[in-house]
Amino acid sequence: MAAFVIRRLVWLPILLFFVSVITFALGLYGPGDPVQVMLGMHANPETIERLRHEYGFDQPFYIQYLNYVANALQGNFGYSLVKYRDQPVGVLIAEKLPATIQLNLVAILLGCAIGVPLGLVAGLKRDTWLDLVVRGIVVAGISFPIIFLNPVLTFIFSRRHEFTLAATNFTFSIGPFLPMVQGHWDGLFSPKIILPAFIESLGVIAVLTRQMRAGMIEVLSEDYIRTARAKGLRERVVVVRHAMRNALIPIATILGLMLGGLVAGSFLVENWFDVPGVGQLAFDALISRDYYVIMALTLLIAVAYILANLFVDVLYGFLDPRIRQS
Amino acid sequence: MPDSQDKLLEVNNLTKYFPITQGIIFQRKVADVKAVDGLSFFIRKGETLGLVGESGCGKSTTGRTILQLYRPTAGEVFFQGKNLAKMQSEELRKMRRNMQMIFQDPYASLNPRMTVGDIIGEPLEVHHIAKGKEKKERVQELLQIVGLNPYFVNRYPHEFSGGQRQRIGVARALAVNPAFIVCDEPISALDVSIQAQIINLLEELQQKFNLTYLFIAHDLSVVRHISDRVAVMYLGKIVELTDRTSLYKSPLHPYTKALLSAVPIPDPVVEEKRERIILVGDVPSPVNPPSGCRFHTRCPLAIDICKKMDPEFRDVGNLHFVACHVV
Repeated sequence: MAAFVIRRLVWLPILLFFVSVITFALGLYGPGDPVQVMLGMHANPETIERLRHEYGFDQPFYIQYLNYVANALQGNFGYSLVKYRDQPVGVLIAEKLPATIQLNLVAILLGCAIGVPLGLVAGLKRDTWLDLVVRGIVVAGISFPIIFLNPVLTFIFSRRHEFTLAATNFTFSIGPFLPMVQGHWDGLFSPKIILPAFIESLGVIAVLTRQMRAGMIEVLSEDYIRTARAKGLRERVVVVRHAMRNALIPIATILGLMLGGLVAGSFLVENWFDVPGVGQLAFDALISRDYYVIMALTLLIAVAYILANLFVDVLYGFLDPRIRQS
Repeated sequence: MPDSQDKLLEVNNLTKYFPITQGIIFQRKVADVKAVDGLSFFIRKGETLGLVGESGCGKSTTGRTILQLYRPTAGEVFFQGKNLAKMQSEELRKMRRNMQMIFQDPYASLNPRMTVGDIIGEPLEVHHIAKGKEKKERVQELLQIVGLNPYFVNRYPHEFSGGQRQRIGVARALAVNPAFIVCDEPISALDVSIQAQIINLLEELQQKFNLTYLFIAHDLSVVRHISDRVAVMYLGKIVELTDRTSLYKSPLHPYTKALLSAVPIPDPVVEEKRERIILVGDVPSPVNPPSGCRFHTRCPLAIDICKKMDPEFRDVGNLHFVACHVV
């Protein structure tokens, strides 16, 4: 096992090399320029040229890249060029990361808590109306675009609604049910997290429900389920001990991979709810060509996914005795 | 005639249809697969009834329906005097202590995430036979009985060969000390060299624990070896049932004759004279079986009445049952 982990870790720098070269090239050769954004539309071309020279953007690609790598290896990932002018990228990300990780964590947990039972029920009651309802919910959940859900759910849950009964002139009001984030992040246990986390969890719910349903259907048709029934076990025991435990293995894989996504913020959700997270930072950096921020975020996500993949491979050995051996 | 005391299992008109449905939202039944269609037979205490027939003729379905792993569409299954077909699930669950099954595929029928100890020990726990240290001892004893090393308890099924796995399956079935075991093609997934070992083990255990077997197989020589009486199935029905000697020496039903003529004889002189009865055509679909006698489309002896009337499954003497108009 140790040899396996080490072999996999050797690949880490190689993958990071490719990811960084590609990201760096895309940033440098793509349209737009951070200096242009910094100085505005009507800047003097000479000033632009001078600033580009100061930042070293006029040097050839490989020089810029090697400089970047040399600095990065010493823990210096550069400075923000535009919105958070001159702040070190590392500090910036460290500041924004907690909100994103907390939001994603709650979204994943919510997704598990809803998706796994839904899939379980749908798989057990395959082709009944219950299954149809669950599948309908899942399809609806992933079909509504986030840009639609953001305003609609906000309107429903974060506003005060007044109703007047026409005949009696009697007025009553309900809500708001959930507070908005609006730039001030209160952490994991604040009710502010519910709405954005729920919207982010819809994708998780869809994936987990489908996987759990398919897994249950597959496992329930296995011969060893018939064996379990023939032993004289209660149906509940057959489902929980024999079927569910086997159907949860792929769920664990998916969740492990999702851990890699913990550090990736959602542009749409974080911007709408004004969550001070990585998604917002990435969005700002992308539209203003803030090279070093984009680079650092891309590398961070790449490392997170590579480690998550490694984690899943190790985890698999513990979950499935057949893999443990070989 | 054997009196009812002798019969461990009696099956009357056992029928199992699997519905074929169509439609995505509103499912409606369009047809039935008539997998098992009106079987009647009995098994005496301590004997082995062999059940043979081609693939798809309903042998396995018969075994599973008797044990109520599929609930029958119609018919009665009397086991130890009680009708299993009428039992509620809880009562039935408790009955499973007395009737067990050995499955065909030793690779698929053991839960890959459970240790051998858990697989064999689980029935002991649910039927409140043993738990804790006692359970562990019983599991080790069972492993020894089926010829496995008792220290294998903490291993997983994938660490064993096919033959060893089938021994685990046998130990599992044996764990609750059942009276009756359905052996559903227990050797057809095994290497030929291993088959004899499992057969000998099953025979040994039968003597030791006074077991009654329903032995399902498509290998005629194996069935001949292990069975006291043999039933031949064709397309969901038993066509002939009698003791081993009369079936192999003087088969009456034309289908039995055709089946037996296909068995090679391990003596080159006799083998040369063996006359194969080659049946024409394929086995008809169980969704829409032929009218009258189901075998008439392929029967070399078929006459007019065979197309119209289903022959009665009758005793032609000495408990030799056959369903044929011509006999």
